[in-house]
Amino acid sequence: MALAVMLLNGASFHGGCCRHKVLLSSLGPLLNNSKLYSSYRRPGAEPEKKLSWQNADFSFKKSMEHLKTQLSLLKKETQDYLQGPGGHPLSQHLLEQTRVLWQFRSQEDLNKWVISSDEEIGGKSKVYVKLGRNDQAALLYGTLNTEVPRDGETKYSGYCSMRSRPAVGSFNRKKYYDWSNFNSLYLRVRGDGRPWMVNIYTDPYFSHQKDDLYSYFMFTRGGPYWEEIKIPFSKFFLSSRGRVQDNQHPIWLDKASFLTLGFTIGDKVNGPFQLEIDFIGLLNDRAHREKFAYEAYDKNTPV
Amino acid sequence: MNPQAKLIFTASLLLGTTITISSHHWIMAWAGLEINTLAILPLISKSHHPRAIEAATKYFLVQSAASALVLFSSMTNAWHTGQWDITQMTHPASSLILTSAIAMKLGLVPFHFWYPEVLQGSPLTTGLLLSTIMKLPPITLLYMTTPSLNPTVLTTMAVLSAALGGWMGLNQTQVRKILAFSSISHLGWMAIILIYNPKLTLLNFYLYALMTATVFLTLNTMKVLNLSTLMTAWTKMPSLNAMLMLTLLSLAGLPPLTGFLPKWLIIQELTKQDMVPAATTISLLSLLGLFFYLRLAYCTTITLPPHTTNHMKQWHTSKPTSVLIAILTTTSIALLPIAPMILTII
Repeated sequence: MALAVMLLNGASFHGGCCRHKVLLSSLGPLLNNSKLYSSYRRPGAEPEKKLSWQNADFSFKKSMEHLKTQLSLLKKETQDYLQGPGGHPLSQHLLEQTRVLWQFRSQEDLNKWVISSDEEIGGKSKVYVKLGRNDQAALLYGTLNTEVPRDGETKYSGYCSMRSRPAVGSFNRKKYYDWSNFNSLYLRVRGDGRPWMVNIYTDPYFSHQKDDLYSYFMFTRGGPYWEEIKIPFSKFFLSSRGRVQDNQHPIWLDKASFLTLGFTIGDKVNGPFQLEIDFIGLLNDRAHREKFAYEAYDKNTPV
Repeated sequence: MNPQAKLIFTASLLLGTTITISSHHWIMAWAGLEINTLAILPLISKSHHPRAIEAATKYFLVQSAASALVLFSSMTNAWHTGQWDITQMTHPASSLILTSAIAMKLGLVPFHFWYPEVLQGSPLTTGLLLSTIMKLPPITLLYMTTPSLNPTVLTTMAVLSAALGGWMGLNQTQVRKILAFSSISHLGWMAIILIYNPKLTLLNFYLYALMTATVFLTLNTMKVLNLSTLMTAWTKMPSLNAMLMLTLLSLAGLPPLTGFLPKWLIIQELTKQDMVPAATTISLLSLLGLFFYLRLAYCTTITLPPHTTNHMKQWHTSKPTSVLIAILTTTSIALLPIAPMILTII
């Protein structure tokens, strides 16, 4: 015991110059008294001054407020359940052909979305979102910069995206939506001519599906006029971690649970971009009869 | 699917069911249950969609746990009583564990959470197999161990099943989930009469299997998966649509259709056994089920939608209505007048 203490004292004294010695390198994590986990951080990340658990505020009053909010949400959910599927009467569910999911009229509508760019991996693109003129739309703007961060492992860079926060019910439970009445996404946007990618992330059951993303492209016009873009759900293809998968399947819309919708720009063109979004909705396009756009062929057909 | 594979899975299902219902030894019964579980997994996950795989995984986990509990209960019974006979499950703790294991297999409340999800992830014909054939072996095991089962546990599970099957089915828009909850509430009716008159449990099961098979096969012919598609199915086959309405009302238990027979006999038997509050409760709770059956019947036949069809191939019925559906529909609607003869058969 005394020997160990002596050894430790000696080690911290010689800390800087004796790292190459095997004994001291095995005691390495015990020597620097700041953190016991890896101190590597990605080039774009801020250095952590305060650990995340130190930010927790354990006040009783705050927890009671939180409990009251959750109970009122639960009460609202029960009342919605009494109304009918999805909180609306059944006649609305049976007859509806359009539904507005997100529209941008106030700051709290904007708070339902999260923006991100390649700054989190050390890139130099910038993205901002604000309410457009007269609070009629959301304006997503910024600059795309394809300069690759110099960390030795990134090959490509230059992306910005805006994703919706997944809907949570009372007590942070996942909310399930039924989109089986609809077959297309309907977006009213005014872009600047740049192509965007619309991504849908559905809540995976298995953890190996956590990178699954259904994507399709949205080509904007750039004119001064608003565009109404319809993207059928049958066109969304499956990709995982950016790689398009061989086994394609359509999105099942009956349990659109914990779904986030995202817009990404990554067309390898340096420069500013801008996208105004008025609303995002669902449409039951009667003229669209396709079930799924991508055929899956048998890979090993018997000869 | 590959025809040979389909043959193997179907034959395995029949084999597993036959092994369980004809066995005297607990190990044979367990083996039959396991064969059934394994055989139906490829049928659930046929389409390889992640939701189908999720349904297959959930089914496998629940059924394996239940089979393990069946084996465990029979083992403790053998330890205490020295024999493995199915009909002599005399140790009370064993019979309690067995009851919960069979409840997990069937989908009785409080072990019902897997059932709607599994049915939603599987195709309609596999849903039919899950609701009828996969329920036969566990109900047979309950039938054979009736003298040693705990009445309170069974009655509680039955009333809760009728309650939750009714309430949770109320706001569903997916037809397979509605049928799952209907199955749960029917299981409640089957479980409540098990102690007093096990033959009525079997009668209820047979008639339920008949009516459910009709509904599943009809929906499969019309390719209906949710309420909106159901509303415009009348354009495809008007006569089958009308029959579907009668079959749904029969499932709900309305006289003078077949589905009324088991409910009537069960209430009569419960009253004779001086269980009037239980009979009243379960009858009132099945009113909730009636609500969603009526809603299905409303969407199918009673209402005409104002808009055009939203499902492709409306005028193209790829196959004519099969004889099987015709026979099943007739039996599931018109069997009530020959009720005395049915009572002598079971």
